[in-house]
Amino acid sequence: MVTKSDTNSVQVEIVPSRFLMPETAQRLLCEIYKNGGIRRIMIHGPNMPREVPYGPGKGIPIEANRNLLVEIGDQAIELRVKVGRIRLEMESEDYLGGLKAACERALPFSFQFRQGKFFHDRMTTSDYAKYGKVEDERILGLIDPKAKKDKLAILSEDMVTFKEDEER
Amino acid sequence: MAYTPQFYPGSSSVGINRRKHMSGNVDKLRDIPEADVVAAMGHRAPGADYGSTHPPLKEMGEPDCPIRQIVAPTAGAAAGDRVRYSQFADSYYFSPSVPYWRSYWGAINCKGCDPGTLSGRQIIEARERDIEKYTKTIMDSEMFDPALAGMRGCTVHGHSLRLEENGMMFDMLSRTEMGKDGNVYQVKDQVGIPLDKKASLGKPMSEAEAKKRTTIFRFDGVAVGGKVGARKNDEAIEALHHMWTLRSKWGFRPE
Repeated sequence: MVTKSDTNSVQVEIVPSRFLMPETAQRLLCEIYKNGGIRRIMIHGPNMPREVPYGPGKGIPIEANRNLLVEIGDQAIELRVKVGRIRLEMESEDYLGGLKAACERALPFSFQFRQGKFFHDRMTTSDYAKYGKVEDERILGLIDPKAKKDKLAILSEDMVTFKEDEER
Repeated sequence: MAYTPQFYPGSSSVGINRRKHMSGNVDKLRDIPEADVVAAMGHRAPGADYGSTHPPLKEMGEPDCPIRQIVAPTAGAAAGDRVRYSQFADSYYFSPSVPYWRSYWGAINCKGCDPGTLSGRQIIEARERDIEKYTKTIMDSEMFDPALAGMRGCTVHGHSLRLEENGMMFDMLSRTEMGKDGNVYQVKDQVGIPLDKKASLGKPMSEAEAKKRTTIFRFDGVAVGGKVGARKNDEAIEALHHMWTLRSKWGFRPE
């Protein structure tokens, strides 16, 4: 038996066939943002450290990975990852057509567009151990279990608000 | 009749390329200046003296040993050089040399080296002036592509990831960059320390060229089991089965 969700929200995953340059990522995120109807969004990809993490060159700054600002709406985010996957929760199915069209406009190459369930909605043991009981459950599924506590973002329905200054 | 080693089975382009790598009969595609290769390796400054771990063999007075009389030492061993390494990561997206084949190339064709293959990287260790020579041979030949392979001493992550928009393999430390002229430039040495001068590694292969020269079997290139709907195993699989059969029978040994 399939349990029906009590909301009409839908979850979508967009996987481009290549990793995005910051300019393309900004174009894609702006198009997605303009389409509206976003409840939650997660940007995923390999980490881009700001300095060499280990080895003989440890601590040397990596200029190419610094100051990668992405402007979405009137907000500026600093990219810490090479964008390779975007997961979204949309308010309803009505926004999906526009979302796919936004991806087609912004991406110069092919991409996968999947509808499914990508954010968990119950707290895992790791979540509880790290954050205790959370008031805003939208945070569930946005948390990288390996990330530090300050490296997370919450998207509200009205505006983007960030805890500290990081996104992961 | 002189014996010619076969090295590897299979009549597919991948089988032929694997044989080329193992035999050392590879095409030379570019000529990267030796100083740039040395700088990219990062073990010594180009033109600097070689460090040594022992005096030159001639001064040491070696013991009377028949093997030493048969085997001539490499230039690095004769001079007493330190052992140094060069390590490469190769993309799954049709990079010319998947790790084992550079190791086979090293083990068969390079004297006095110690190749090693790990999950996503491939390292060769040798005396310093020998490894410099071997690394230059690799980087000048079809075993290397500036976009799909990279010299990475640490933080090798990237071989199994999607390519970047410009066709380069992802590199967390940005050791190479795509220039506006279409050439790939080495801007850091293999451990991420910036170079004094950018070194041009040449233009990357086109996708068709990479598919032609690759040593990787892939479902969207040359599939090892043939095309879906028209299965036909490459001779490599049959040879593998043959080896496993013999190995299992040898291991079984009923008395």
